[in-house]
Amino acid sequence: MYRSTDFAIADTCFLIDWVRFRRRDLIFKLFKTVFIPESVLREIKSESTVMWVALNLASGNLALYTEVFDEVEEARKITELSRRLPGAISVDLPEALCMAVGRRRGYVVLTENRGAIMFADLVSDYNDVIVWRSLEVLLALHMRRLIDADCNNLSMLFREYEEDTKHIFPERDLSNGVEVLRRELCSKN
Amino acid sequence: MNYVVRIDNKKLKKWRELEDEARDIRRRYADWEFIEKQPPKIRAALIYYIEKGDIRGAALFAGIDLEDFRELLRKANIPTIT
Repeated sequence: MYRSTDFAIADTCFLIDWVRFRRRDLIFKLFKTVFIPESVLREIKSESTVMWVALNLASGNLALYTEVFDEVEEARKITELSRRLPGAISVDLPEALCMAVGRRRGYVVLTENRGAIMFADLVSDYNDVIVWRSLEVLLALHMRRLIDADCNNLSMLFREYEEDTKHIFPERDLSNGVEVLRRELCSKN
Repeated sequence: MNYVVRIDNKKLKKWRELEDEARDIRRRYADWEFIEKQPPKIRAALIYYIEKGDIRGAALFAGIDLEDFRELLRKANIPTIT
């Protein structure tokens, strides 16, 4: 029996960076299936991304998510609300759809869209949606001991990710994460 | 579905500060020489991204696909930050 959090749904911004990571297949150690909405599939174009997605759809690590009318309607409302909230960052429709699915099905939402992360923080109906950036994915791989942590260099995997993707983790979030790993994985007491 | 939205000003302030930090990093890392050499529409889209961090809007503005725009950001040394 699987829990809903054994499944994830990924948006385009997450996917197009994650595919460039040298250890990209590690994600399938965390999730039984990562769903890709049809709208996201339509946005990917580069050979490396399309090939990785195709191979993993074929092997069953990834699965296509066909959105239903109610989910698209909810996504539209998220997008509209995000644009009306003073000072909030806009959530675009593909990310909003992942949020709607995350709320309804309990899947982990994988996104690098700051608007989506902010929306889940600000809007009470979405406070329970689990939204992960690549940072949280890498942390979870360590915490669940799905990779060997080097206690002398706990930031190694994160730096590899930054190098491969040219994505930067906020220094404060990264140092907090590394501190948690040090306490949980490397402390002798 | 009707949302109950109570704006928590503390949270909003935190998010604004994070946005300001991210913008500063994008400005600092950007290869401005590369950006200045681009055609007007691409140059404007890159500057818009630096200021707003809105990748989909910037790609639309540049008239190119999202993935191609992400690649352009790498060439311009403009990081994505989350």
